[in-house]
Amino acid sequence: MDTRVLHKGEVFERVFVNEPEVDLHIVQEAGSRVKIGIVSNDLKQPQTTSNKITVEQAGEGCETEIYVLAFLRGDEQLTTETHVKHAVGGGKSNQLIKYVLDDNARGYFIGDLKIAPDAQKTEAHQTNKNLVLSETAQMRTRSQLEIYADDVQATHGASTGQLDEAALFYMQQRGIGKQKARQLLVNAFMQEILDLLSIDSVDGVIQ
Amino acid sequence: MNKLLEISNLHASIGGKEILKGVNLVINEGEVHAIMGPNGAGKSTLSAVLTGHPAYEVTEGEVWLRGENLLAMEPEVRARAGVFLSFQYPVEIPGVSMTNFMRTAVNEKRAYEGKEPLSPKEFLSLMREKKKLLELPDKLNNRSVNEGFSGGEKKKNEIFQMAMLEPRLAILDETDSGLDIDALRIVAEGVNRLKTPQNAAIVITHYQRLLDYIVPDFVHVLADGKIVKTGDKNLALELEEHGYESIA
Repeated sequence: MDTRVLHKGEVFERVFVNEPEVDLHIVQEAGSRVKIGIVSNDLKQPQTTSNKITVEQAGEGCETEIYVLAFLRGDEQLTTETHVKHAVGGGKSNQLIKYVLDDNARGYFIGDLKIAPDAQKTEAHQTNKNLVLSETAQMRTRSQLEIYADDVQATHGASTGQLDEAALFYMQQRGIGKQKARQLLVNAFMQEILDLLSIDSVDGVIQ
Repeated sequence: MNKLLEISNLHASIGGKEILKGVNLVINEGEVHAIMGPNGAGKSTLSAVLTGHPAYEVTEGEVWLRGENLLAMEPEVRARAGVFLSFQYPVEIPGVSMTNFMRTAVNEKRAYEGKEPLSPKEFLSLMREKKKLLELPDKLNNRSVNEGFSGGEKKKNEIFQMAMLEPRLAILDETDSGLDIDALRIVAEGVNRLKTPQNAAIVITHYQRLLDYIVPDFVHVLADGKIVKTGDKNLALELEEHGYESIA
């Protein structure tokens, strides 16, 4: 495990692309900023892997961003764990975790978000959205919110869906082949994370 | 005159319920056909079946497009062969830009016709030219397909796509619904300008109003899954005055 202490006002930004077993533990001191991206679209070996990010905001006014994008196919399995703790107030955290699952892929997301009694004026968001492309792919989500402060803004949400059939037909009616239409919709789903991580081209990273 | 579309004894159902009960219709090149009728008569089902919507099952009958078996084609092949539907409820596709969507559609059709894809420059100038026809703003290019568009913008966007794809057969499904009079005029003018001696249109509408702008050669009344009466544009005026009960 890679443990790192970010000192006052320090910035840590890192994007992991197709890296197995990311395991990060970060302690943030006042006013520091963290932005972590994990993009997995080809796990190769091992086909089963897990990524874990633990962040503790130990000083006031910290910002934490965690963006995860996974495109799993075949028998690939990926677990993403995030543990975000706001120990003191005035901090912000935003997490967006997106999975696309095809074939027999298995995805897991485990997310803990804690806001300690002293962490007033915290703003914390955790969102997990998943797109399942086959009958046999599966996604499991376990997200847990523990809030012990009363003056905070916190949201969490998880949704798993399939490709929009109405949008597929609309595109086919314009002459776009079904496979191509599916690809456009999948890319559209993933684009949000690529934008947040300032990754330019979908083709370069995801195909 | 050349026959463009021939529908014979078309029966179709959804979820086991028969909606079309033997539709017969011949459309020649250069003609505009209006299809009117009460709610639930099967007007939208007809457009869904002609475009190959997967929810509908054709149980009997045939449809030929310029001598080809339309019902045997996948929806996208029907579109490339020249069938275009202006949707009653255009679908929003978040994250897919109009430019990307339209360029894919135009180039898929060109590939079907054995033509080279348009260069980005050629494509953008085609977009610009066709947008003017519908008085659509330039910023349209980067917006997601129909996302956040007003009702009027969505309908204009349908006709814009029709202008880009230049179909042989355009089916306008309640294109007038939800349009104010200015938007209606722009949409109708767009449709009229796209008319050529080789293409044809089916205009599905509840109201005579649209037919003041897009003048049909024939008006058909669809009731309970069948065409029960056919006339010229005066039939639409008659229906407006006396209602559908006078016919059925």
